[in-house]
Order: sequence, then structure tokens, then C-alpha cells
Amino acid sequence: MNGMNVPFIGEVPSDIVVSWIVTILLGAALFWWLTTRRKWPLVWDYMTTTDNRKIGTMYILLSMVFFIRGGIDAMFIRTQLAIPENDFWVFQSQKYNEVFTTHGTVMIFFVSMPLLIGLMNIAVPLQLGANDLAFPYLNAISFWLFVAGGVIFNMAFFFNAAPNAGWTSYAPLATDTFTTGPNNNYYIFGLQVSGLGTIFTAINMIVTIFRLRAPGMKMTRMPLFSWATLITSFLIMIAFPVLTIALLLLMFDRIYGTSFFLGEYGDPVYWQHLFWIFGHPEVYILILPAFGIFSDVISTFSRKRVYGYTSMVVAIALIGLLGFMVWAHHMFTVGLGALANSIFAITTMLIAVPTGIKVFNWLFTMRKGVVRITTPMLFSLGFIPTFVIGGVTGVMLAVAAADYQYHDSYFVVAHFHYTMIGGTILGAFAGIYYWYPKMTGKMLDEKLGKWHFWLFIIGFHLTFMPQHFAGLNGMPRRVYTYTWEDGVFLLNFVSTIGAFLMGASMLFVAWNLYKTHRLTDPVGADPWDGRTLEWTVGSPAPEHPFQPVPQINSIDAYWYSKVERKRLPESEEARPSPIAIQTVAPVLLAGVLIVMSVGFIYGWVWMQIIGGIAALGFFIYRVFNDERKAVYRKEEES
Amino acid sequence: MNKRVLSFFVIAFLTGCQMRVLNPKSDTADTLTNLIYLSFGIMMLVLIVVFVLFVYFLRKFRERGKAKFNIPPDEKENKWLEITWTIVPVLLLAILAVPTVKATYDLTSKVSGSAGGSKGDAMIVEVVGQQYNWKFTYENGKESYDELVLPVDQEVQFRLTSNDVIHSFWIPNLSGKIDVLPGEMTKLSFEPREEGTYQGKCAEFCGAEHTLMRFETKVMSQQSFENWVQEE
Repeated sequence: MNGMNVPFIGEVPSDIVVSWIVTILLGAALFWWLTTRRKWPLVWDYMTTTDNRKIGTMYILLSMVFFIRGGIDAMFIRTQLAIPENDFWVFQSQKYNEVFTTHGTVMIFFVSMPLLIGLMNIAVPLQLGANDLAFPYLNAISFWLFVAGGVIFNMAFFFNAAPNAGWTSYAPLATDTFTTGPNNNYYIFGLQVSGLGTIFTAINMIVTIFRLRAPGMKMTRMPLFSWATLITSFLIMIAFPVLTIALLLLMFDRIYGTSFFLGEYGDPVYWQHLFWIFGHPEVYILILPAFGIFSDVISTFSRKRVYGYTSMVVAIALIGLLGFMVWAHHMFTVGLGALANSIFAITTMLIAVPTGIKVFNWLFTMRKGVVRITTPMLFSLGFIPTFVIGGVTGVMLAVAAADYQYHDSYFVVAHFHYTMIGGTILGAFAGIYYWYPKMTGKMLDEKLGKWHFWLFIIGFHLTFMPQHFAGLNGMPRRVYTYTWEDGVFLLNFVSTIGAFLMGASMLFVAWNLYKTHRLTDPVGADPWDGRTLEWTVGSPAPEHPFQPVPQINSIDAYWYSKVERKRLPESEEARPSPIAIQTVAPVLLAGVLIVMSVGFIYGWVWMQIIGGIAALGFFIYRVFNDERKAVYRKEEES
Repeated sequence: MNKRVLSFFVIAFLTGCQMRVLNPKSDTADTLTNLIYLSFGIMMLVLIVVFVLFVYFLRKFRERGKAKFNIPPDEKENKWLEITWTIVPVLLLAILAVPTVKATYDLTSKVSGSAGGSKGDAMIVEVVGQQYNWKFTYENGKESYDELVLPVDQEVQFRLTSNDVIHSFWIPNLSGKIDVLPGEMTKLSFEPREEGTYQGKCAEFCGAEHTLMRFETKVMSQQSFENWVQEE
């Protein structure tokens, strides 16, 4: 059962053979569908586009593919853990380690991040009254680097070399002394390449928000999702380079035999510091945009301005700032000493204050409003109690001494799924239902959306609530089985049922997509009775939608213009309009980087050289082919 | 939904007295359990306030037939409300922070302080973690694998190190975790208060068979321990 003899290749684990077969069948079906429906020109159009809506849509589409992948991994994990001393398929020992490593890494880097970045791409320029992101070409590069990173990381599994040191990839386990083979090289290069794309996106967002706001839209009139995007982008700019450096050092340890993280002069704890100096801001990078989405959605569907706008902005900024001062709470048990542990315990607790301010402001936005329960609102409402549970367990974990008990147990697993799913994923779903008309011009079916929500949220609590207690009963995380005497069977069994319920809820999404696109008519510009500028442009949002640019005189300007039954005034002032082009260069760069990465992953020097020269060639090509030069020259002449 | 979640939380927690972490059998574990209950209590307070407001606002302000076209007036945020939900959490956290820091100092000085920090009569056990077993060495040189034997009511100090990757030493009934690092020595001490057999586990993911890196802790009477440790 565990191994199959494949001709010409040799012994291969059966799960990989199955995945090959499934991939070939799905690939053939997709190819056939694209060909018979004559969709190839559409594919080519998307591949060569620099338009923010199209790129955002591709981000979300691809994250959903990775979501399925990470979700199937979760099903394998839960099936293996359903009953004590289980032997499900191949998922024990190293295979199980590969599955949870892949699940964690995919869900963080290739699902949550790109879902949010996709929504930023679609909504932020529209909310600001901008015609595109500041650097459309760079945006395409960001997206295709994310694709390249995703491809590299997922390739690992198909070549039977999935990373196996956990998504945190702790040294010295992740060094080549203890995990030989290419497995963890895939982790390094997958994250490195996609991380570069994320940094570029952050630069793009910051410049867009500072430079391209519509006339009159002061910073203090920006919708909260745009504010959250701005602060998140700063967090990315500071945190991601730390990951880049950490991965580089680990790569040198693995490939060139340096000893940053082990041996006489190295120290494995360095890795933990670097990883969490990146990693803790990272969880705020994942949650702040979701907070922004909830603020906009709750305000829209309460038909009221968001309560305490200023304190909401200050709270986001404070969370962002404090987020950099708490990393060592992931390392309470390392033995950093009582002083360090106490300081990090207190800074961690402090984060609860601005978060609490936000929760109360959301609640008071609903107060005295008219609360309309649509699917995006339902996801936002589900978020509040769920995330607060995750928040209070967060404070419990911050109690440094008590953390000696919770640390690395299922209590922690429960906590971070409450925040990451309860916050980020519910936020992404709310955003997708909310802005779907801007992406596609159609509205997702409300009834199926509500089915999705209820199955998902019930499944979610069934899955993760019992895990708190499994942790308190002494179940460590990252174990592939447990015994009857451990007394965690029922908790795990309920958890598994919940996980399959969550999986089933996603079938309603598939059904919803099918139904929406086959059976419903396009909707107008403002299907939700919205408040912000994205609802003034057509659905789906056209390229360069704001011509002429509106003049903004207040927060939620569009809403007040509707209340007063007037049109938004047009502005005389022009804003620089980013230049759209059709180019295949970003796709080629992604391909080149995949080639170079594979060269490093397997230590094939000739391939590294070819990839390196091609990547360098790309930069030279770009220097002589900047589409903006001609425009700038024209501007200077006039 | 909230009521369901809440009642589940409460019931499950009340039955939690059998859970290992909440069933302390040593002085250290006792302190930790009290801290867990304190933080849980304060946090339940917060949770209840949020849930009550949430349910109340949702029921009261949900869109009904005739309110459909109402446009609620804008309201200016109330400064005092904003101050309240800033100050009150700070106070609650302060109440939690004081015992947190105290316990952290009490227990952590034991964890990694100098050997002189503990009372002179602590029994010393050397622990070596390696993929995938635990080696215990007692004061008289006796060694045991994956079986830790301790006398009741006697303070014991562990000096831990690893032969390969990072492990973490955890006996949920007796104490919290301490990481076991290669090339370094960490320390942990506690005084078991009840005879019995307790599960011990590696809590830090350490490779292929991390799951199987478990040990048993037998706490026995002083006399039985003496007999056991003298045995060849």
C-alpha cells in the first residue's frame, strides 16, 4: 500500500502516484475545456496584463487552488488523527511531517497572503479613486513571482521531496545535518521567490496610497481597508527582508556548509529570533487587512459611518508597532531568562488593548444602525465572537509562566487557527463576497453563500474548540498519533468531524461559482448600496475607471452624495495615470527564476548559471524597454 | 451560536479537572494551574461582555420590515466610551500582569538560574535528549532510558542538554516545558507531591519519530526510590 513500483522511476509512495494521475487527468480536462471553449486568448490576455483588477482576480483564483491543496492536507491530518494508534494510508512518521509542513506553509504564504493581496489589488485603487496601482508593471512582476514561488514549493511534493521541518523550519533540524535531500531547499526557494513579490507589492501599495488618492481624499478620509493596507505594507517592508536574510543564511548552511545555526560558533536560537522577528509581524500582516475589510463591510451593512474612525486608525498603527516587540513570546521555553520573558509577556498583553478598541468600535458601529445580514456581513458577524475567543486565548498564552504549559501543545494550535481562520480567512471570504461584483460583474448567490458560512463556522468551532482541551490534556502539536491512555480520543474525533464539515462547506462555494456564472445576470455599479468610491465605477471595474476623477469632500463621500441625491463633483485636477501595457516579460522572469531555483535546490551548477544569466538578462532588457520613458518625455516636452 | 460555544466552553472546562495540565502534582505545576485559572477567569469576563453586547445589538438593530429604508443619523463617537474601553482592559491586564511576572521570575530563575539558586538539598538528574529517546542519569551514576524515577516530596533539579536537534522536556502533571538545546544546558526544577505514574513527552518537533519520543515518570516513596536507584 505504501510504495508502488513505477516503471522507469522506481519505488514511489502511493499518495504521490495518485497525485500524478489526478494532475494529469485534471490538466487534460482543463486543456480540453480551454480549447473547446476557445478560452486561450482570454488566458493569454490575463497572462500579459498589468491591470490591477485582472491581477487581483488571478491572485484570488490561484490562492483558492492552493487553498484546496492545503485543505486536502488538513483532511489527511485529521483523518490520521481521528482515532488513536491509527494507520491511515501513508501518513505516519516522515510523511505526516511533510503533510503538516506543507499545510502550514501553503496556508500562510500561498493562501492567506495572496488572498489579501488579491483583494488589495482589486479594492484599494478603486477606494482611492486611482486608475491603477502606481507601478502596474511591477505589480505583474509581484504576481508572477508569487506564482513562481508557489510552483517551486508545490513541485516538491510531485518529486517526492516535500519539506519536512515544519512551517517554522527550526534549525538545526532544518540544516543538512539532520534533514538531507532537497526537501527543505524547496521550502527556502519557494518562500524566497514569493517573498520578493510580496515586498514589491508593499512598495507598490505605499506609493499608490501616498500619490494616487483622488483630489480631496485626505489620509483622514481614506476607507479603513486602505488604511489597513498602508500599515500592512510598512510591516511587510520591515518584516519580509528579515525572512529573506534568515532564508539566505539557512541556504548557506544547507548548500555551502556554513554554520550560522549549528556547530561551535553558530546557534540554533539565532534562527528562532530571525524567524519570529519576521513571523510575528507576519501574523499582523495577515490580520490587519482583514480588520480593514470588516470595518468597511460592517459600516456598509449597518448603514452607518464606522464608529470611532480616528481610534480605529490609531489602533491599527499601534497593533502594527507593538507587533514588532513581541516576537520572543514564541520562545518562552527556550530559556531566555525571567527578565526577557516578563517584558515580552507584557508587550504581548498590551496588544489586546488596541484590538479590544477595534472590537468595541465594530460593535458600536452596529448600534443604532440598520443591520442588514448579507453574506459578507454574516462572515463579519461570525468573525467577532470567533476572533475574540482567539484573542483571549492569546492573552492567556502571553502569561509567560503559564505558556510553559501551553507551549507547542494543541492549545496553541487551537489559538492560532481561531485567529488565522477566524480573522484572516473569514475576512477574505467576506471580502470576496463583497467585492465579487467588482471582479466579475456578477453577484454570488446569497442563499448558497449563507450555506457556506454556516457550515464553515460550525465546522470550524467543532474542529478547533476541542483542540484547546486536547492541549490541556497534554497533547503536543505535530504528532502523528496518540494512545488510548492519552484521553484525547473524543476531542480528536469531534475535531475530525468538524474538519470534514469545513471541507464540505467549500463544495457550496464551487456550486455557487457555477450557478452564478451560468445562471445569473450582471449587476450594476452599486449592488450593495455601498459607501466608498469603488461602488461608483462599473462592475466589473473597467481599466482606468476614474475619468474624470471625482472630487472628495468627506469620509464615505459616495454615500453622502447618494443621501443628498447629488452626483459626486468632478475634479479639475488630474492625477498621474499609471501606464498599462501588455507584456509577457513577467511570466518569462518567473520561468527563469524557477529554473535557477531548481538548479540550487538540486545543486546543478550548470542550471544555476543558465538561470542566473537569464535573470540578469531580464534586468538589462527591462532597462532598455521601460514603457514609461516615452510618456515622461512627452510630458516634459509639453 | 454564541450560547452554544459558550456553554461548550464552560462545561468542557468544568470537566477539565481531569485534564493533566489542570491536575497539578507538584509545586511548580500548582503555580501554573492557578495562573491559568486566573487568566481564564479574567478573559471569560471580557468574553461575556463582548458576547452580551454582540447579541443585544444584533437583535435590537437588525433590519426589520419598515426600517428597510431608514438612514440612521450619523453619530459622533462618545469620548467617554472610548476611554472606558481603553482603560478597563489596561486595568484587567495589569491585574493579570503582576502574578504573571512574579510567577515568571519564581519559576524561570529555577529554570535557567545558577545551580546555587536552588536549595542545596535538591536532587540532581542529568537529562540528555536525542532522536528519539531520553537518557536520565542520577547522582550515583545510574542511568535509565525513557523512564524517569523520582522520590516524592523531594525537590529535583534537571540539567538538560541535547545530542542532536532541539527537543522540549514536558511532564504536564508536574511542570511546564523547558527546551533541550544542543551545546547548551538548560535547567528545570520542581517537587513532586503525589506518588503515581505520569506521562512525559517531547514537545518540540524533532524529526521523523518525534511522536514516539515519550517517557514515563514514576514518582514513588523515598524508600522505594532508594531501593530502585541502588539496584544494578
